[in-house]
Amino acid sequence: MSKAMYIKAASCISPQHSYGEGPMLEPLMSSDTGMLHVVEQDYRKYISPVAIRRMSRLLKMSITAGMQCLADAGVQPDAIITGTGRGSVSDMEHFLSDMITLKEEALNPTYFIQSTYNSVNGWLALQTKCTKYNETFVHRGLSFELALLDAQLTLNEANDTQNILAGGFDEMTDYYHVVKGKIGYWKKEQIDSLELLQHGNTDGTIGGEGASFFVLSNDKGNARAAIAALKVLHKPGVAEMQNAINEMLEQNGLVANDIDVVLSGMNGDAKQKKLFEAGTGMFGDGATVCAYKHLCGDFDTASGFGLWLANKIVSEQNIPTVTIQSGVRSDAIDKLLMVNHTITGDASLILLNSCK
Amino acid sequence: MEDFKVTLKQQIIDSLNLQGMKPADIDDNAPLFGEGLGLDSIDSLELMVLLERNYGIKIEDAREGRKVLTSVQSMADYIEQHRKI
Repeated sequence: MSKAMYIKAASCISPQHSYGEGPMLEPLMSSDTGMLHVVEQDYRKYISPVAIRRMSRLLKMSITAGMQCLADAGVQPDAIITGTGRGSVSDMEHFLSDMITLKEEALNPTYFIQSTYNSVNGWLALQTKCTKYNETFVHRGLSFELALLDAQLTLNEANDTQNILAGGFDEMTDYYHVVKGKIGYWKKEQIDSLELLQHGNTDGTIGGEGASFFVLSNDKGNARAAIAALKVLHKPGVAEMQNAINEMLEQNGLVANDIDVVLSGMNGDAKQKKLFEAGTGMFGDGATVCAYKHLCGDFDTASGFGLWLANKIVSEQNIPTVTIQSGVRSDAIDKLLMVNHTITGDASLILLNSCK
Repeated sequence: MEDFKVTLKQQIIDSLNLQGMKPADIDDNAPLFGEGLGLDSIDSLELMVLLERNYGIKIEDAREGRKVLTSVQSMADYIEQHRKI
């Protein structure tokens, strides 16, 4: 069994008020355009004026979230491990569009240079002068989870104290929204994003974006929550999903009743309803079932926002009312299970423990 | 020529996304790289692209490129002599 990964700090720039010192998720943000964009921040705190002028929104929000996370933890990273489903899509769109309109001549270098998936990691390494292990996982909806898995393996192998900056980031663009809309990703009806989960009988979801970073360590320090277990599943059916949850509980010496909160990545898509219900239905009324994709939208690394929220819930022992879907509100939150499905049908389970 | 230099400065500002800067803030003879505007090597590539896209000028020789991109004045002089668009 893997050792626990302690969450020493978490920072998230999302479509909600998740960054900085203000009250969590207040005021609530919503949209009826079928997609959610992040609440923009003052990015000049961590990025020089010379560098910032070339950066896309994704780069700015990811670098800022990553640097803030390290500042909150008060550590230098021993590794930088991230996941992104699509990387800098807007830079890629600029570059490809220029290639077509300018017939592959006189192309701007900046868009090309920064459209690579690992440009966020590169910038973070430059900013922190970290020349150690640096990896970006690009595996669609499981990118963030695979970054966490790599962090877990790295910490398991370490003989000394290690602090890893792990994160996930993706951006939404109008063009991407149109393209994915053509293959049925999004709801056809216009809805308020906060009411997404009340529209679970129609196909599709809403798009989103965000950057979430965590300092994960094998040293408990002042951590108030830890990732106890992590599992990824390739396009599981209902039975396979339930078996995987039972297996994870058993491996950690738990039964369903021990779980205080189930944080579901349910996304309001009728096609995925059965799978999500299979995960959350196993816990009866004993656990509080919560959800988050009506707050951040669905995107490849949306589970990063989920983990940020899970960490907040466990470390502050407080469940935001807007996330609660069913069950009684747990008073003491010791065990939280994240159950997520990606739009393409893969799934992940993340078990969080409180650190008392 | 003066009007053209203002146009060129605005093109440089747009191309390099020099936020908060106006044409009047750029001195005609101040060095573009290092002490003056403080541009870097990626900016030099962007300026080469600007010359090609807007004026049809392709500079193949790096030494010649360095001379042309010394200042706004040197760019304007070179464009006036070599422009194809």
